[in-house]
Amino acid sequence: MQALATYSVKGGVGKTTTAVNLAFEAGRTGVRVLVWDLDPQGAATFLLRARPKLRGGSRKLVGRKGALEPHIRSTDLDGVHVVPADLSLRHLDLHLQRAQHPSRALRDLLAPVHDRYDLVMLDCPPSISLASESVIATVDGLLVPVVPAPLASRTLAQVARLLRDQSDPPSLLPILSMVERRRKVHRELVEELTAAWPQLLPTSVPSAAVVERMGIDRSPVGAIAPRSEVALAYRTLWTDVAHTLWPAG
Amino acid sequence: MSPTYARADVESDRVVTALSGEGWVLEGPHRHERTVLDTFDGRLHRAGLRLEHRAGRGRSALVLQADDGGPPAVLVVESVPRWPHELPSGPFRTRIATVTDDRALLPVLSVRSTLRNLTRLDARAVPLVDVEVHDGLSVDGQEDGPPVPWLAEIVARPGHDGAAEQAAALLEGMDLRCLGADVMTVLAGTVGASLHGHDTTPRVELEASEEALVGYRRVLRNLAGTIEATIPGVLTDVDAEFLHDLRVAVRRTRSVLAEGKAVLPPAVRAPFRDLFRRLGHTTGPARDLDVYLLGWGRYTAPVSDATPAALDRVRAELEVRRQEAHEALTTILRSPHTREGLDEWRRWLEGPDTPTGGPLLGPVVTERIAHAQRTVLTDGRAIGPDSPAEHLHELRKEAKRLRYLLECFASLFPSKAHRAFVAQLKELQDNLGEHQDAEVHLAYLRELAQDLHHRANVDTDTLLAMGRLTHHIDRRRRQERRAFVERFAGYDTKGNAKSLRRLLEAGAG
Repeated sequence: MQALATYSVKGGVGKTTTAVNLAFEAGRTGVRVLVWDLDPQGAATFLLRARPKLRGGSRKLVGRKGALEPHIRSTDLDGVHVVPADLSLRHLDLHLQRAQHPSRALRDLLAPVHDRYDLVMLDCPPSISLASESVIATVDGLLVPVVPAPLASRTLAQVARLLRDQSDPPSLLPILSMVERRRKVHRELVEELTAAWPQLLPTSVPSAAVVERMGIDRSPVGAIAPRSEVALAYRTLWTDVAHTLWPAG
Repeated sequence: MSPTYARADVESDRVVTALSGEGWVLEGPHRHERTVLDTFDGRLHRAGLRLEHRAGRGRSALVLQADDGGPPAVLVVESVPRWPHELPSGPFRTRIATVTDDRALLPVLSVRSTLRNLTRLDARAVPLVDVEVHDGLSVDGQEDGPPVPWLAEIVARPGHDGAAEQAAALLEGMDLRCLGADVMTVLAGTVGASLHGHDTTPRVELEASEEALVGYRRVLRNLAGTIEATIPGVLTDVDAEFLHDLRVAVRRTRSVLAEGKAVLPPAVRAPFRDLFRRLGHTTGPARDLDVYLLGWGRYTAPVSDATPAALDRVRAELEVRRQEAHEALTTILRSPHTREGLDEWRRWLEGPDTPTGGPLLGPVVTERIAHAQRTVLTDGRAIGPDSPAEHLHELRKEAKRLRYLLECFASLFPSKAHRAFVAQLKELQDNLGEHQDAEVHLAYLRELAQDLHHRANVDTDTLLAMGRLTHHIDRRRRQERRAFVERFAGYDTKGNAKSLRRLLEAGAG
């Protein structure tokens, strides 16, 4: 099983949108995906039409062997399961502090379902916390959506610094998100970011109104408007990501 | 497991109406086709995997389901693949390819139906459970269709076990009968199809105290079943393993016939030994070339960096020869002589088991195994550094004969001790097999080089590449030859002799 996380210290950059759309694209190419919604807001849970309920809350989840499995729910997407989020996740850091090995806690929870999924996608809240350290210690790649904005490079640098502190850090996989090619400032910033960050995945995701429809239809864009520019971008982006995960496959 | 329900004297509409009345969401009807795919020997099934091609509502997809609680993996495809490498790279392909190896994917059971899907949603429109109602069922290759007019299958969703239980209670409340398994398993059972694949390992229940002739016939019937099941795959050249399985079944048959002098009527044994000897020889050239081509990458890897293109010509030539060898083989397999011989063999095997007062199975088999072991040890001990390669080849054949006897009559012996002894024997066989393969490949290369040179049909680069390859294979042959001394010594031990003695004592009854 490979593990990815959509992560950023900044909110509103498209983490959940990326997680749900990439899970959809992965699922339709025969990959078994477990989306684990770690954000107490539960946006991925909502989009995947799961009930926002962690029975017993996050307290009962952390540090208990086999505790994840009862929370796994099916979704309407081919090959995709979800561990839903609820508000109890706002205390996740507290519970991790009490765990014997906080940084290993999420990985240990995933161990029993390791063979059932090809990919686990962790959708993280925007923060730098114990939970994000545990996420970083768990995943093989960190998908970091960046919106072309003056502070984008600084945000990426913060994440890169976070990774440098790890003994076996995941790959940093920045994604250009919500790009408006018509805007000169976006084009210039994309150029700057591409030059400064060679790790940037080659496919950028355009800004599009159809993304907003995800919240209304509770479906990924690939299901709502499969031929739209943004759906095609996620399809290509998934191909980029899949090549990094299974290069010889 | 998705349980399936049915009731012959009730219309499926009653189920659909009842569930719709409870607020379940109805989708369909639409035509639906499901085909279970697996290798001839059921490798996916044995690995706990179910691969299905599903077509309906304009979508054609492969669905790979493991019995581990994970989601079914779904891959949209334009056509049904014969080989995993026809699929896009990624985990889906890898999961299949690592299990199927060199075997092709074949349709095992194909079912058509008119499908109506009912989904129960909760108050937030979260789907909890599905019931699939299949009407107008037909199974490919079955003219009459299955003896059930319709089936309803509960498809549970993870995390909603309660909803699945409630669905089962609803169906049972309509007096529907639970048939246990999923639709495909139920239909396979009703039409007598197997989702397990053909087991080419002889598994025959035997008693040491039964008459030897009866036990021998049962073993030979099992082997005849494998021969008959593999021939169509050889004729259509589905994958190379069909020929391998056929060849092994023929060899096992020959070994049992050879060791059946005191058991089988001479009027039966002599002509059929002749039939299977000819069949065995017929399969040799094609199988040798299959082995060469299947292992081509491994054989040529050490020299391919220097001469990648030059060896393409050699491979192409080998492929032509393989094609010719297969054509010669299929001509013989299709010949009236072979077909009539095998029909006659089947007739004798299906004849009544009339008691003849002959010897008992346990003592006969153990005596023959002891004899085969003595031959292996005598021949092996006689091999020295200067012994010709043919002596090793003869020893290999004797070791095979011993192995086949142990395998064909396996149920007479305690399984753990049996497995341990066969594992020791296999170590020796692996060495002899590698040595023989290298000998055969060298002979092919030399003969091929002469032929190409004679036809003035080869460039210098190719000849040089063949020289390098010959050198490499010869080095491998010499390595195996040197390793033989140690491998045989590891087999010819007091401990091994004692293990076999105990095994035979237990098997004699």
